[in-house]
Amino acid sequence: MNKRKDIAIIGYGETKVTLKGGRSSYDLAGEVFAQVVEQTGIDPKKIDGLSIAETMSETSNPFWGVYMCEMLGLSPSWMQLNGLGGTSGIGGIARAAAAIRDGLCETVFVVASDAQSSGRNPEQGAQRGEFQYPVGLRGPVGAFGLLTQRYRHQYGLDDRALAKLAVTQRNHALMNPNAVDKLQKPLTEADYLNSKYVSEPLRMLDSVMVCDGANGVLVTSTENAKKLGAKKMIHPVGYGEITNFKGAEPLADITVSGFSVAGPRALKRAGMTPKDIRMIMPYDDFLIALIITLEDIGFCPKGKGCEFVMNTDLSYKGTLPLNTSGGQISAGQPGLAGGGLNLVEGVRQMFGEAGARQVSDPRNCMVTGIGVIPYGRNWGVSGVLVMEQS
Amino acid sequence: MSEQAKAPAKPEVKKIPRPMPRPNTYMDTKPFWEAAKNGKLVIQYCKDTGKPQFFPRPVSMANGKRNLEWREVSGRGTVYSFTNTFSAWPGHEDRVPYMVALVELEEGVRILCNLFNVKAEDVKIGMPVKLYWEKLSEDINYPAFQPA
Repeated sequence: MNKRKDIAIIGYGETKVTLKGGRSSYDLAGEVFAQVVEQTGIDPKKIDGLSIAETMSETSNPFWGVYMCEMLGLSPSWMQLNGLGGTSGIGGIARAAAAIRDGLCETVFVVASDAQSSGRNPEQGAQRGEFQYPVGLRGPVGAFGLLTQRYRHQYGLDDRALAKLAVTQRNHALMNPNAVDKLQKPLTEADYLNSKYVSEPLRMLDSVMVCDGANGVLVTSTENAKKLGAKKMIHPVGYGEITNFKGAEPLADITVSGFSVAGPRALKRAGMTPKDIRMIMPYDDFLIALIITLEDIGFCPKGKGCEFVMNTDLSYKGTLPLNTSGGQISAGQPGLAGGGLNLVEGVRQMFGEAGARQVSDPRNCMVTGIGVIPYGRNWGVSGVLVMEQS
Repeated sequence: MSEQAKAPAKPEVKKIPRPMPRPNTYMDTKPFWEAAKNGKLVIQYCKDTGKPQFFPRPVSMANGKRNLEWREVSGRGTVYSFTNTFSAWPGHEDRVPYMVALVELEEGVRILCNLFNVKAEDVKIGMPVKLYWEKLSEDINYPAFQPA
């Protein structure tokens, strides 16, 4: 697939991230919908597609997507429920683009919303009851503890690089009014290094805090965007995704992720190399994921991620601005809408609407998604999206 | 008397017990638990390709067929990775801190497990380990590992 700019993102919306905010996923999504309608001036009747992420809080309702249409007054001719964890946002855009190109619909609301910190956590079942829960692996925290330990063994891990990432993201969050209030305080490298272990060698400040929130974008064909008189638009120009990377290889190296496949694929389709990327909004459930993501996509050789971080200005004023709204680790993880937080920030930056933290010349942006904790591996889904201005 | 007046001064904290494995929740794993009860660790092998796999699955990951059998393995392996758990999974609060590891068996699969009879600071990646059965109940032996 060669680079095409036939698909456009013409609007975005985001709620503030809250801790146990008490509002439902429907209500949060409704707020994003209203923002998108207001921002684009679109007649909601013209939205004929819905690409919606699965949630933690509402997943006991297998008809969540259809209920959402009812809530929002939409009658889509195409509807897609994305169960890709943190990849659901960018994966939702890729699927919407395919549906639009296939003529199934014209304009798609891509939304993610979750009230995980206020709601129920569904039981994931499968092998976990027999082969995970009795052992006591502490979910994602435990899995990333194992991953961090193995990474440290194979390549060495410079704690100063993780501290730099923690501080860079926190500084960005302090400029983001939508970030969760609880984390709105400055952080130093020493704070990170002194943070207590939750699953050694993983620290508390390596980790996200589960919150509530919603985000979304409006996607249509570039042709239709012009017809609608869209004030601003950017284009998804390359996407790569893989689920259960090396899943059938029992002894695969767990420090190598699906980004080693999804990253090059997205870049190839975008006609770019890592050097061309102006800013990156990588999925950050744990800081070590950022190191592995940068390596596997090809920003630096394998095992050199810490060095790359130490030698690169990742602030909004830097050479490779990273998670300029604070990332999930410092803005709060709105449950399974977490992947959309960094996505929406990318769109906001490219629209030139990031205020105090605006990146200069925001010509393109890479966004990544990570989803699901599998048995004894790194993560279940890896997705990479490259967006470019017109 | 109102409902509130009857309520105890301090709400009782309901303690979640340690999660126990229940055989056959997602497929037929009974042979695994039967063997465990007899002190034998068995894993699935694809009869066509000879490839082992763990955890148990409904098909061979090597060829997609259901031509699988259970074979006893040595119980010997090495530590692939480990994490000392301070923040417990629900039901494991009394065990903190406890050691969770990925052990690579000689036969070529990895198993998520606890490590016993070793101090946290002595655990190393590559360390040889052998099987240790943790008796969770009269009927359930759970596979764990200890230094070899």
